[in-house]
Amino acid sequence: MTMKKIFFTILAISIFSAAYAQIDRSKMPEPGPAPQIKIGEARSFTLDNGLRVFVVENSKVPRVTYSLVFDYDPVFDKEMAGLTDITGGILRTATANRTKEMIDEEIDFIGASMSVYAGGLYASGLSKYTSTLAELIADVIINARFEEEHFNRVKTQTLSGLMAGKNEPSSVAARVNNVLLYGNNHPYGLNITEKSLENITLESCERFYNTYYKPEITYMAVVGDVKFDEIKKIVENYFGKWERGLVPKHSYPTPMPPKGVRVAVVDRPNAVQSVIRVGYPVDLKPGAEDIISARVMNSILGGGTSRLFNNLRETHGFTYGAYSSLSSGKLVGSFVANTDVRTIATDSAVNEILFEIRRMQNELVPLNELNLFKNEMNGNFALSLEDPQTIANFALNIARYDLPADYYTTYLQRLSAINENDILKAANKYLMPNNVNILVVGNASEIAEGLKRFSSTGKILYFDEDGNEYDPAKKLKAAPEGMNADEVIGAYINAIGGEKNLKGIKDVSISAISEIQGMSLNIDTYLKAPDKYRMEMGSGGTIFSKQIFDGTKGTVTSPMGEQPIEGELLEDLKFQSVMNIELYYDKYNIKRELKGIETVGEKEAYKVEITYPTSKTETQYFDVETGLRIKLISENGVTEIADYREVSKVKFPFSIKQTSGPQSFDMKVLSVKVNSKLKDDLFKVN
Amino acid sequence: MKFKQLWFLTALLLFTFMLSAQQRKIAFEEYDLKNGLHVILHQDNSTPVVAVTVTYHVGSKNERADRTGFAHFMEHLMFEGSENIPRGEYFKIVQNAGGQVNAYTSQDKTHYYELLPSNQLELALWMESERMLHLVIDSVGVETQRSVVKEERSQSYDNRPYGSIIEEVFKHAYTKHPFNWLPIGSVQYIDQAQLKEFQDFHKTYYVPNNAVLVIAGDIDVKATRKLIEKYFADIPKGKAELYRPQIVEPPLQGEIRDIVYDNIQLPAVIQAYRIPEKGHPDSYALEMLTNILSGGESSRMYKAIVDDAQKGLAVFSFPFPLADPGLYLVFGIANMGVEAGDLERAIDEQIKIVINEGISEREFQKTKNMQEASFITSNARMSSIADNLAEYHIFYGDAGLINTEIDRYMKVTRDDLNRVAKQYLREDNRVVLHYLPKSQ
Repeated sequence: MTMKKIFFTILAISIFSAAYAQIDRSKMPEPGPAPQIKIGEARSFTLDNGLRVFVVENSKVPRVTYSLVFDYDPVFDKEMAGLTDITGGILRTATANRTKEMIDEEIDFIGASMSVYAGGLYASGLSKYTSTLAELIADVIINARFEEEHFNRVKTQTLSGLMAGKNEPSSVAARVNNVLLYGNNHPYGLNITEKSLENITLESCERFYNTYYKPEITYMAVVGDVKFDEIKKIVENYFGKWERGLVPKHSYPTPMPPKGVRVAVVDRPNAVQSVIRVGYPVDLKPGAEDIISARVMNSILGGGTSRLFNNLRETHGFTYGAYSSLSSGKLVGSFVANTDVRTIATDSAVNEILFEIRRMQNELVPLNELNLFKNEMNGNFALSLEDPQTIANFALNIARYDLPADYYTTYLQRLSAINENDILKAANKYLMPNNVNILVVGNASEIAEGLKRFSSTGKILYFDEDGNEYDPAKKLKAAPEGMNADEVIGAYINAIGGEKNLKGIKDVSISAISEIQGMSLNIDTYLKAPDKYRMEMGSGGTIFSKQIFDGTKGTVTSPMGEQPIEGELLEDLKFQSVMNIELYYDKYNIKRELKGIETVGEKEAYKVEITYPTSKTETQYFDVETGLRIKLISENGVTEIADYREVSKVKFPFSIKQTSGPQSFDMKVLSVKVNSKLKDDLFKVN
Repeated sequence: MKFKQLWFLTALLLFTFMLSAQQRKIAFEEYDLKNGLHVILHQDNSTPVVAVTVTYHVGSKNERADRTGFAHFMEHLMFEGSENIPRGEYFKIVQNAGGQVNAYTSQDKTHYYELLPSNQLELALWMESERMLHLVIDSVGVETQRSVVKEERSQSYDNRPYGSIIEEVFKHAYTKHPFNWLPIGSVQYIDQAQLKEFQDFHKTYYVPNNAVLVIAGDIDVKATRKLIEKYFADIPKGKAELYRPQIVEPPLQGEIRDIVYDNIQLPAVIQAYRIPEKGHPDSYALEMLTNILSGGESSRMYKAIVDDAQKGLAVFSFPFPLADPGLYLVFGIANMGVEAGDLERAIDEQIKIVINEGISEREFQKTKNMQEASFITSNARMSSIADNLAEYHIFYGDAGLINTEIDRYMKVTRDDLNRVAKQYLREDNRVVLHYLPKSQ
């Protein structure tokens, strides 16, 4: 009894004192002894067909994940850039045994997920479905079936993504940066374009699949609440029949950094921010001897709350963030510093980035700063081990990049041994401020001048969204996503009065005048719905020529006499005679395609290509702001249209300027009359 | 024959499920400090990682209508510094310790967390106790965070395509209840507020008796209890009255429709149906209905609208879990050239089919399986275990649901799914917004 009581009192006192012991809150607590980092084990086996499999047993959560890496050499095919992505995109759609619907249903039914992309596959689910999931994966990878329907859908989705990306400055920057970093002759420098997408066929995807998706270049990691022996049996069972094939090898010359400083701009006239990328290719292979010091060096410069961040955001307030990345690669790696800044701060920001890069090369990093980043990397290594997938990735990397078996178990030791001199050495080896590409996606007219001082040649190179260099004097840019030719034409119809008012027009008489070599020429045009047309040209009451179309037949009268219009000319005249043909493009089988936005004079205009069934084409330009048609280019020359005025609720152009070769023909409209009940006789062709 | 097989399969599934559920129970212990701080500890020594979280039972619904954004603003101030942690050091200390730190604010709660190598447990306790006991709220910090929050608002809401959707939905769906506004709040109120108001807000809500401390990971429970005592026991209990709104939002009384013009290329349709609060039996059925409507590529909406008719680029639906009656959202983005109205009709059709024809036995089994998988996945990491324990304690009054909430899902019947569709997914119980591109 007493014992218990005494014990209780002691307990109470100790709790009491623990609670009210004076603690010194001003002192940050010291960490406990560093915990032992145990890196879980990955066991592996290889199937007869060459498939290498790594298994990490971890029973913490009753789940399983499969990840596959298809480790083929990158393929260089300029005409069909994107072929690998499209192929990856169709892979999950159908197999010899299953339709897409069946695959979707089976995956969802067990609450699992599976995604396939060009370079690999990832699937996860509850571990009780380990075998079910393996069977599905094997079917998708080994027995893929290529169907037109899914192919078209993946292509359309890719196209939509491409279009959307063109509106997204950061994705434009990524595309153009690929070209700058790796050049046009390296697979990393290739971007999907509308054109390359068009060239990709279902057959080419199937061929690619049959050539490259082979077991001997595939790595598989299985992680979770599984047993090695069980996985071995399952994988042998489902993947054993996967047939070997000779996967072609490809090698490419290693891309080199530019000779000097190259400044490239992608013009976005309305941008309020500049997207900046400063970078070059780096020869840094996974597992390189000094890769850890190179990574610590980059962290100090631009990883997280680092020098670039502190300088550009905290000190200067140019941006919300500024970072850099130094990545390794089997073929080639890269260094890229990136930030998005207010337009006005563009050149100052570039200057500060280069300043920080040079500072890394010229000054020893203070010890406390070095330790901050080493500690962070140390901790993040430990935290990453919570996810068993990390262990699998370690094993995969060791196999793929031929790293020493103890590469990751000795990682923390090597990290802790890094000193200030190692950082300086890495900075001088991997940072090249005198051989960089400076890419800015932004408002060229406001930033180009300020950027010239960085360029070795004093010149700015201009690139379009696909990474093609162009002369800024002639430039077409992409129309916003979702915009198409019919939208543009619809806007035009609305701008001139709307469909209802246009359809209310039964006939029009237009009287115009033009000065040619001091002589004034009258041009009178008559149109009657649906498709009658008459034009007279003359001067001082004398008619020189006239053209008539009655709906089926046409004639032309000139000083040489009257002649029927026939053949191609008649076909052309037919379309020319239709009242407001814009309303009936479908009916007349006239195709239209939005090509992009160009500057016409001071204005931005949608460029629409019209193709007649005669396969003649015409390019029309519509003011982005007003919707009005302002320019037209056909084989007959260029027509510039302006001075729209409203007559009976419909707008007509009162100024029409036609240029054909060296000749220019300026027409001023004097009057437009609508619905004056023109007689059919006026359009009679004998 | 077929029937038997199905029955056998179901029984087998059920059996294996019970096995796996038993397999892994998340053990924890919980207690209160004298000052009212509720503590929950979960020990798992498999990786040298510890998650330390403090959840305060305060969110935007505790705000005054003319002081919206306070709880979220406080989240920013909590990183500014304390008596013993100089301004700007909070992130750096955690970085130096090799850890990660962050926070989020919802309508109902504010959650702060550190994820650290386990030998840094004491550091996290010191930091969390500092901001509870000693937070410095001064004009420098308030001014700095005012501009940061403005940037955040403009980046994440105002200038992001479709970024204002949730805000617009809640604005239309609630007139009396404080769910009318989002945690990000209005810039003007943050600007109008005096320094003292922020200090009072902290003094009222950021007190031990309104908080739950959860530690999950590589700990020794006994030693951890001592450390908690050391850093938290002397934090005084809060004295101010905690405002917990008891406002009942009246029923909608008919459909509400509106159009919002945004800087977008493709139109979007949003439907928001009023539903009960989280924890209500029907909320489980609604969540399971979501799987059938839009969970995965075999779901009804995805198959019919995205895959087959290709009217939508994406369609998804989800209940928005809130402590008071909330919303069930259906969200679709139209494909190029498809009008919002057209997409909405396609969505309505799918809802109608569920209401009129119910769901199949296979679909029912599918949603159960999906629910089970997501339940297990949601407790895969220490940080999510800690978050979930706090959530279950505060809003369900039972942290043990981390192991048993799945039973509530499994109790839902096929008829329930059909019934909740009928009961809640009604036209007169919804807000419909069309997001249209600003005219070019």
